Amino acid sequence: MTTLTIDEVTVHHGATRLVDAVDLRLEAGVPLTVVGESGSGKSLLAHALMGTLPGELRVAGRMALGGTPYDLATRPGRGLWGSRLAMLPQEPSLALDPTMRVRPQVAEGASVRRPGSRAARRAADRALDGLGLADAAHAWPHQLSGGMAQRVAYAAATVGGVDVLIVDEPSKGLDEAAVDRIADLLTAHLARGGLLLTITHDLRLARRLGGELLVMQGARVVDRGPGRTLLDEPTHDYTRALVAAEPTRWKHEWMATTRDPGASPEPLVSASGVTKGYGATTLFRDLSLEIGTGERWALVGPSGVGKTTLGNALLGLAPVDHGEVRHHPALAPGRAQKLYQDPVLSFPRRVALGSALGDVLRRHGVDRKRPERLMESVGLAPDLLARRPDQLSGGELQRLAVVRAMLLRPALVFADEPTSRLDLLSQERTMDCLMTEVDASGCALVLVTHDHGLAAAVTDRQVTLGAQRGP
Amino acid sequence: MSPLVRRLSGVLAQRSGQALGVGLVVSVLCWLAVQRLPGDAAYRIAAGRYGHDLVTTSSAEAVRAELGLDRPAWQQLLAWLAAVPRLDLGESMVTSRPVVTELGHHLVGTLQLAAAALVVAALIGVPLGLLAARRPGGLLDRVTIAWVASVRALPPFLLGLLLVVLFSVHLGLLPAAGDGTPASLVLPATTLGAGLSGLVARMTRDVVVEVRASEYVGFARTKGLPDGGVTRRHVVRNAAVALVPYLGAQAILLVEGVVVVESLFAWNGLGHALVHAVFWRDVPVLQGTALVLGLVVVAINTAVDLAVVWLDPRPRNRGAAA
Amino acid sequence: MSLAPLLQSDPAPTGGHPAAPGRRTAGRTVRALSAVTLLALVGFALAGPVLLADPAQQDLSRFLEPPTLAEPLGRDDFGRSVLARLAHATRLSLVLAALSVATALLLGTLTGLLAGWRGGWVDAVLRGISEAFVALPALLIVLLFAALAAGGSLWTLYVGLALAQWVEYFRVVRARSARVLATPAVEASRLLRLGPLHVVRRHLLPELRGTLATLASLGMVTAILAMSTLGFVKVGLQPPRTELGLMVTEAFPHYDTAPWMALAPVAVLFLLTVALLGLRRTEVTR
Repeated sequence: MTTLTIDEVTVHHGATRLVDAVDLRLEAGVPLTVVGESGSGKSLLAHALMGTLPGELRVAGRMALGGTPYDLATRPGRGLWGSRLAMLPQEPSLALDPTMRVRPQVAEGASVRRPGSRAARRAADRALDGLGLADAAHAWPHQLSGGMAQRVAYAAATVGGVDVLIVDEPSKGLDEAAVDRIADLLTAHLARGGLLLTITHDLRLARRLGGELLVMQGARVVDRGPGRTLLDEPTHDYTRALVAAEPTRWKHEWMATTRDPGASPEPLVSASGVTKGYGATTLFRDLSLEIGTGERWALVGPSGVGKTTLGNALLGLAPVDHGEVRHHPALAPGRAQKLYQDPVLSFPRRVALGSALGDVLRRHGVDRKRPERLMESVGLAPDLLARRPDQLSGGELQRLAVVRAMLLRPALVFADEPTSRLDLLSQERTMDCLMTEVDASGCALVLVTHDHGLAAAVTDRQVTLGAQRGP
Repeated sequence: MSPLVRRLSGVLAQRSGQALGVGLVVSVLCWLAVQRLPGDAAYRIAAGRYGHDLVTTSSAEAVRAELGLDRPAWQQLLAWLAAVPRLDLGESMVTSRPVVTELGHHLVGTLQLAAAALVVAALIGVPLGLLAARRPGGLLDRVTIAWVASVRALPPFLLGLLLVVLFSVHLGLLPAAGDGTPASLVLPATTLGAGLSGLVARMTRDVVVEVRASEYVGFARTKGLPDGGVTRRHVVRNAAVALVPYLGAQAILLVEGVVVVESLFAWNGLGHALVHAVFWRDVPVLQGTALVLGLVVVAINTAVDLAVVWLDPRPRNRGAAA
Repeated sequence: MSLAPLLQSDPAPTGGHPAAPGRRTAGRTVRALSAVTLLALVGFALAGPVLLADPAQQDLSRFLEPPTLAEPLGRDDFGRSVLARLAHATRLSLVLAALSVATALLLGTLTGLLAGWRGGWVDAVLRGISEAFVALPALLIVLLFAALAAGGSLWTLYVGLALAQWVEYFRVVRARSARVLATPAVEASRLLRLGPLHVVRRHLLPELRGTLATLASLGMVTAILAMSTLGFVKVGLQPPRTELGLMVTEAFPHYDTAPWMALAPVAVLFLLTVALLGLRRTEVTR
C-alpha cells in the first residue's frame, strides 16, 4: 500500500510567499481534493509536488513516497515522471503534439524507452479502447473535441501504470457531461489502488469525488476534513462562503422578482424558423423564439453546440442561413449590449479604462455622474480607471464591462458565458452586480452558459440546444 | 477530393497566379524601358542586324514594317506580353545571341552559387542557433544576436570586398574573380552564405526556444520521456513546421544577394548578366534575367508551401512568407 | 512551463512588462545612443553641403592628399574634398531613403487598411497585386527602374524604391487590422455606436504604431543599402554624382595608398545602418 506524505511545503517568489507550510497525506484509493479561489496557491502546490514549477520559484519541504524520503527543493519529481508520478495537463488540447497522431502519443506513456515498439502500441490501443476512443487512435489532435483530448491525455499519462495522479483543474472549459466522464476515470484510477490529488474550484466535482477535502485561502490551508461533511455542513467561515457561492444556493433579491407578463405585447426580439450551420454541421434548425421586455432567458447546452452563435444571431451580429430575426423599434441601435467571456478582449488593449469609458460618455452625452454611481454600486474603486485592461483581475474587469453596458440604458443585455473563467466567489459577485442592474433597469437578459445551476438561479426561461456533436 | 489534395491544388493555383503576376510586372516594366531607350528602335534593331555602317533608311523602314513598330503603343505592349509565354525573348542587343540560350548558361552558374551559399549559411547558422537556444538569454544567445545585427548592417558588397582584400590580395589564397573553378566559388559563396547565416541562426533559435517552451513538450516530459526522445519525436518536427515558412523569406534575400555577389566577383550568373543588362540597356536580356530570378523566388516559395502542407496536418496553417 | 499563467490569479496583479529591469534599461540606452548618432549624421548631411567646399571641384595637383587639419578626410584621386563629398552623399542617401519610405508607408498603410476593413473583392484584388510584387526582390525592382531612368534620374529611383517597399507595409497592416477588427473589443464598440474614427484611434493605431515604426527604420536601411549597391555597380547612380556606394567603388583601387578614402564612406554607411537598426523597440524574447 503506497502512501504519499508532504510536510511543510512552501513556495516563494522572491520575498512573496505563495504557498505556506502545507501538510498533506495521500492514501491509496482515497481521493484528496484541494479547493479554493484563484490565487490561493492550490495550483502551485500541485506543481511543487510534481516538480514542474518554473525556475524563478523557490520550493522547500519534504516528501515521502512509499517510505522513500525526498527533498522538494531538489525537484525530485523529475526522476519519477511516468513511473510513479503523473499529471493531467490543464489545457489538454494544447498538451498534444499537433503534428503527431493520437496513438503514438499514448504509446509514449506506455514505454518511454521504446515508444515505437509493438508492445507500447498495443498497450496504447488497449488504453484507448477502454476509454471508448478506439476510433480516435489515428486521428490528429486538432480533430478531437475538448473532452476527447482530455481523455487522450488521461490515457497517455496513466497507460504506464503510475501510482500518483495529480490533476489540475480538470473541469476547465468542459461542460457537465464531460466533467462527469473525467470524474468516472479518476474514480477508476482510485479503484485500481492509485493515489489521487485533485485541484479544482468546481465544488460539484469535489462533491462527486468524495474523500478528503482541503480548503486553501491566501496560500494557507484554512480547513480540512471529509469532503461530504465540509461541503454539506460547513463550519469554517470561508468554507461556508465558498459553498454559498454555488449558484444552486444563491439567495438574492433579484431572484424573486416576478415580471409582469402584460408589460409589452410586442416582443423585443422575435426569431422565426432560424437555421444556421458551419460547413457540414448544422448548429440549430428551424428555431423560433420571442424575447419580451424584461424577460430573462438562458441558452444552455454543452460546449460547441452553437449557443453563442444563436445569441449573436438574435442580436443581429451574425447572419442566419434561413429564417428571420426581427427587432422591435425599442431595440434601436445601441440599446442592445453584450458581455464577453473574456473581458480583457472586450476593451481597447492599450488604452486606459477611463479613456475608453470617456469615449462612450462623450459620444452619447451621458452625464459623468452615471458611471460614478454605477461603479460605486458594483463595488469598484474610481482609481481603477487609470489602469489598462490587463492590469485588472477578471472579475473586476467584467464588473466594469457591466458598468459600460449599462451606461446606455440598454433594453437587452446578451451575456455570453460572462463568468465561466471566474472562480465561484468572483462569479457570484459579478452575477450579483449584473443582475442588480438588470433588475433595476428592467432590461431583458439573454444568458449563455453550460452551467445548469447558474441558468436556473438567474433566469426563468430556457432554450436547450441539443448535443449533435460527439462527446 | 481528400483535404490533402485540396490543399495541394490550392497551393499550386495560388503560386501559378503569382508567377503570372511576376511575369506581368517584369514584362511591362521592361517594355517601358524599351520605350525610353534613346533613338529610334527601328534603326537600333537594324544596326544590330546588319551592322552600324550598313544601316540605310530603307532597311530601317523594312524593320519597322516587319516588327510593326508603327502600331499604337498598347498593341505593341500586347504583342510584347504575348511573346513571353512563347519563350520568344528576343536577342541580346549586345551580343545578338538568343536570350534563351544565354539564360541557360547563367542559370547554371547562379544555381551553383546559391546552393553553395545555402550550405554555408546552414553550416554556420543552424548550429549557432541551436546552441543559442539551449540557454535563452545566456552568453551565446547574446553573441548570436550581436552577430545577426552586425551582419544585417554590413551590405554584402562590403563583406565581399573585405574578404577579397584579405584572402585574395593579402594572402593570395583564393581567386578574386570567378572563372568556373571550384576555388573561385569559395569567396562568393562565403560572402553570400555569411550574410544569410545571421537570419538562419536567429530564426532557428527563436523557433527552437518557442517549441521547447510549449505545452506539448512539457507534457511529453512529464510522461517520462527522456530528453533525447522528446527532441527526436516532438521538437524536430514542430521546429521544422515553424522554420520552413521562413525559408520562403530567405529566397528573396538569396536572390538579392546573388545579384550583388555575382557582380562583385564577376561570377557568370543571372545576377551578373542582369546588372550588365541594366548598364548597357540590353532590355531583352534584362527581361529574361529578371523574369527567371522572379520565377526562382516563386518556385522556392511553392516548394516551401508544399513542404508545409506535407509536414503540418492542421487545416489552416501559415503560408510561406512571400 | 511559463510563469505567467501560474501567477495570473495573483491577488494583486501588476500587469508589468515581461522584461527584467536590467534588460529594459539596456534597451533604452541602445535606443538613446542610436538616436544621438542618427541626429549627428542628419546634422552632418544637412549642414555639410552648406558649410563645406564644393564636392565637384577638382584639383589634380592635390591627388590623394592625406588628411590635414583643413581637410580632415583628405582628398580623392581627382583632388576633391572627401569630406564634402561624404556630406553630399549622406544627404542623398537620407533624403531619398526617407522620401521613398514615407511614400511606401503611406501607400501600404492605406491599401492595407482598405483591404482589412472592406474585405471581399477589394481585398482579393489588392492582395493579388501585392503577391506579384512580393516575389520580386527590392533590388530587382530598383534595378528595373534604373533601366528606365535616363542616365541617373533620381525620380525613377525614388519611384522604384517606393514600389519595392510598399508591399511589406500592406501585408502587415492588412493582417493586423483584419485581426483587430475581428476582436470582441471592436464588436463592443460597434454595439456602443462609437463610430469608425474611434476604432481607428483607439484600436488600430495603437496596435500598428509600433510595428510601422520598426518597419520604417528597417525600410530606411534597405533603401540606403540598395542605393549603395546600385552605386557600387555603377548602375542608376553614376559619377560625378556622389553616393556612398559609388564612393566605395571609386576608392577601392586606392585602398592601400589612401585608405581614408574608402574607410570614410564605409564608416558612414555602417553608422547609418547600425543607428537605424538600434532605434527599433525590440521585443524581449524568452
